[in-house]
Amino acid sequence: MAQSRLSRRKLLRTTALGAAAVVAAPYVRGAHAAGRLSIGFWDHWVPGANDTLTKLCQEWGEKEKVDLQIDYITSQGNKNLITIAAEHQARSGHDIIQMPTWEPLDKADALEPVDDIMQKIIAENGAASEAAQYLGKSRGKWVAVPATNGSQVKPPVARISLFKQHVGWDPTTAYPADGTNEELAEKWDWNMFLAAAEKCHKAGFPFGVGLGQTTDSVDWVGAVFASFGAQLVNEKGDITVKSDETRQVLDWFKKLVPFLPNDVFAYDDASNNKWLVAGKGALIMNPPSAWSVAKRDNPEVAKDCWHFATPRGPKGRYSPGLPYYWAIWSFSPNKSAAKSLLVHLSKLSSIEKMVAASNGYDIPAYAKALDFPTWREVGPPKGTVYHYPPRGKQIVSLAAAPAPPKIAAQIYTQATMTKMVAKCTQGGQSIDQAIAWAADELEGFMRT
Amino acid sequence: MTAVTAGELGGLKPARRGSIQKSRRQALFWSYVFLVIFAIFFLTPPIYMLVTSLKSSGEISAVTNPWWVYQPTLENYVELLTQNQFLVFFRNSVVVSVTVVAITMLISVPAAFALSRMKFWGSATLATGVFLTYLIPETLLFIPLFKIFAFLRDVTGIEFINHWWILIILYPTLSVPFCTWIMIGYFASIPKELDEAALIDGAGYIQMLTKIFIPVALPGIIAATIFAFTVSWANFLYPLAFTTSADQLVLPVGIVTTLIKGDVYNWGQIMAGSLLCAAPPLIVYAFLMDYYIAGLTAGATKG
Amino acid sequence: MAELAAEAVRVPAGVRHTSLQKFMRRRSTIAFAMTLPLIVLIVALVIYPAFYSMYLATLNKSMQRFVGLGNFEFLFRRATFWMVVKQSCIFAISAVFFKALIGFFVAHFVHTIPTKGQRKWRGMLMVPWVIPTAISTIGWFWLFDPSYSAFNWLLGKFGVDPVPWLGHPLWARFSVILVNVWYGAPFFMIMYLAALKSVPEQLYEAAAIDGANWFQRLWYITLPMMRNIIAITVLFSLIVTFANFDIVRILTAGGPVDQTHVFATWAFLLGIQGNDIPLGAAVSLFMLPILGVSAIFILRGVRRRTIEA
Repeated sequence: MAQSRLSRRKLLRTTALGAAAVVAAPYVRGAHAAGRLSIGFWDHWVPGANDTLTKLCQEWGEKEKVDLQIDYITSQGNKNLITIAAEHQARSGHDIIQMPTWEPLDKADALEPVDDIMQKIIAENGAASEAAQYLGKSRGKWVAVPATNGSQVKPPVARISLFKQHVGWDPTTAYPADGTNEELAEKWDWNMFLAAAEKCHKAGFPFGVGLGQTTDSVDWVGAVFASFGAQLVNEKGDITVKSDETRQVLDWFKKLVPFLPNDVFAYDDASNNKWLVAGKGALIMNPPSAWSVAKRDNPEVAKDCWHFATPRGPKGRYSPGLPYYWAIWSFSPNKSAAKSLLVHLSKLSSIEKMVAASNGYDIPAYAKALDFPTWREVGPPKGTVYHYPPRGKQIVSLAAAPAPPKIAAQIYTQATMTKMVAKCTQGGQSIDQAIAWAADELEGFMRT
Repeated sequence: MTAVTAGELGGLKPARRGSIQKSRRQALFWSYVFLVIFAIFFLTPPIYMLVTSLKSSGEISAVTNPWWVYQPTLENYVELLTQNQFLVFFRNSVVVSVTVVAITMLISVPAAFALSRMKFWGSATLATGVFLTYLIPETLLFIPLFKIFAFLRDVTGIEFINHWWILIILYPTLSVPFCTWIMIGYFASIPKELDEAALIDGAGYIQMLTKIFIPVALPGIIAATIFAFTVSWANFLYPLAFTTSADQLVLPVGIVTTLIKGDVYNWGQIMAGSLLCAAPPLIVYAFLMDYYIAGLTAGATKG
Repeated sequence: MAELAAEAVRVPAGVRHTSLQKFMRRRSTIAFAMTLPLIVLIVALVIYPAFYSMYLATLNKSMQRFVGLGNFEFLFRRATFWMVVKQSCIFAISAVFFKALIGFFVAHFVHTIPTKGQRKWRGMLMVPWVIPTAISTIGWFWLFDPSYSAFNWLLGKFGVDPVPWLGHPLWARFSVILVNVWYGAPFFMIMYLAALKSVPEQLYEAAAIDGANWFQRLWYITLPMMRNIIAITVLFSLIVTFANFDIVRILTAGGPVDQTHVFATWAFLLGIQGNDIPLGAAVSLFMLPILGVSAIFILRGVRRRTIEA
């Protein structure tokens, strides 16, 4: 399941039948004819999404006569990060590897520049989003191709009935499937989030928002930090964690934590999903994978789920973003084949298939790829993911930005922000102690 | 060793037979009570794993009584065993473990024989050294080994990392020292008259080893084999650090890193996979328990 | 050496000198050839990496510059490092203590019951030790799951609030140690059981006739007789528990907030995952002192055995 091989013989048989397909191959064939390509894709959380990606790759492989070996590497337990680090150290491994957030910039020295194919892709698909550019370009050059599969934001997913009953605010009227009720949406800020968390906690359905050390926790906490204007390290690499904004945001978390389940500090990327699907909580911050699994395993809960915009903070509305990239290792022996495959996967038609297969989970990076019907149509309830992609005046937040990539990567993998929150809540320390601890940690991240 | 003789306890009052019997019965009663309690403690996780492995995803997500199966199903097992990926893990594990056992025996049996019977310069130090090696944990070695293999690749062009066979190179470092140590002990317990007799009959050292020592020390060899097998079946750190592609993984790491995934409710399958992974050592143990325990107690092993 | 002389005597006097030399040469060559694979294996894959690790620990993060003890200096200034030191000690000492304690008592109970049933009980109680740790830890992980914990379900039946098994630092440490004790106690049991069997029955009978109670028999007979085996088992277990990786990695991955990290898991996080191989190597080297001290004690026991042999 997590791996598919295409035997060459079988390939030749199929391609012999349709020689026309070979002739119509889009990329300069010959340079990589009948090669072998190994790819490490991120293992999708939405059931069935991997199959579509495999099919897209096989299409290309048949055309180009390339044997493919596809591994789906889960982000659970940070298996993907271990794999990336191990391959980077060993300077060998897959030809193409899928990297989250800061990894492409952190490993830029070991990646094949992809500026050439990105020019073409952008010419066809429209400009890449700011977030995608921020993490995908090193010194103005693209080092990796923005991936469609897996690129996500983590806005709230709430149980409609529980919100109506206990919070008295209906996400489906504030964020209906065809637009936004600006007046109601305007109220949706972190203070209201706090009040809603309290009400739902009292009703026995606490919010399942994680404060652990994996991406789900780091991303949404990063967005809260950003919307309060709290930066750990600025773009020049100075430690700026000791600020009033940081104090404010930690103070907000101090108010929130008592209303959360008592083990949110041990949450991994699956815990919040399980919390929602089991029907135990009124809200989690997650892409539509939890809802997709609920559709299969607990349909009653799925029918009651609504995705909508992230709350607003003093400095704006930040949606917790987690862009993925397809990167080609510079030590790959098949760079041209790898580039050809990535061009194929970046075609609008391919992107549309991925978005559909993931129930709208995947958020493409390109301007022309943001209006597929999937987001309007999937359900039940119909339109539940319409507001999942950031619409309107939302900024995609990248946890640990704007720190320089090497430092940001450390902040991200070490989960410094969620640890700060844990220190001054569960750890019983004062806010200033937590900040001082963070400053000390950050100093350690400056190692070269 | 300070043995205490009954004489030192002489100050105590003599007791009547009846009370001894009564206290024995009481001791027996309480022993059983505590044994039952501890058996529950020791067996709860495997039993719970079995229970979960018989549930469908729907039943797990429905939050019913977790300790009971209402609609038992074998679908998790069927799915695993028909799915190529799990079988690949299984095959890798089997190939790695069997090869490692063979290599371990080929290295440690002759070495133990030489060290215990053919005393040569430095043999005593070497025997001790072998044992000390066993005390160096793999958690100390994986980082330098990682660098060494990367370096070797640059020199030789052979890729070591992310191939299952790297484990065949690595696991003997965990199994050989201890197996050699067990075998030294077993060989040492064989009477010296035997080899003298063999020498007089004109047997060479190799013949002496194959004709006399190996047959006589067979229980020790079986114990060492079991040890080598369990160590290479169960190791987690080396495969986690050195293999990543799904087709290169062995069972424990394969289960932990690829079966646990975003698809939230496949815990039934994870538990089924875990039990299938635990089965071979359990079966070996069930049949060869006495050898297994003999091996454990032969020298103190890792615990 | 004595046996050598004895063999030499058997050789006829005339050819004695040269053939003895040849014999010696043959014998030591064979012996050396037989141990050579072992030596190569140990030198190449254990001793060399161990020293290489020390060298790595003196480089900077990108491994291009020699920084001497800079990495250690860096570690000493980190609060997290000292926390990991503390946790490794707490983890190893308390886990070994409870393993030894439980193992001791269970061995005692097994020893008390009639010999006929002992095999069955022993077999059952050894199961945790036989299952690969990574596998049984997954089982525990599922028992501790935040939303589906079977323990919390049971507690809920008694009206007890759900326990954050892995979410609260104290509970997480407890859980990690619990799993380790669960896994390791059977090993102690089996070692102690073997030792108990070697205590002469007459001693107990004599003591019983003298009216010694249960505790006195334990204190004056069993413990002194088992002192050696207890010491060596505890030392062994200390080393392995100190260097443990699987349980912490799978159960908590060091969290919450690094409060369950031990040396091995932290070294893995820094070295492999965090791309800082020298720092990871430096952290793992901190296992050496405890290894050294234990090795000295164990060596004494081992020497004794070598002499006996």
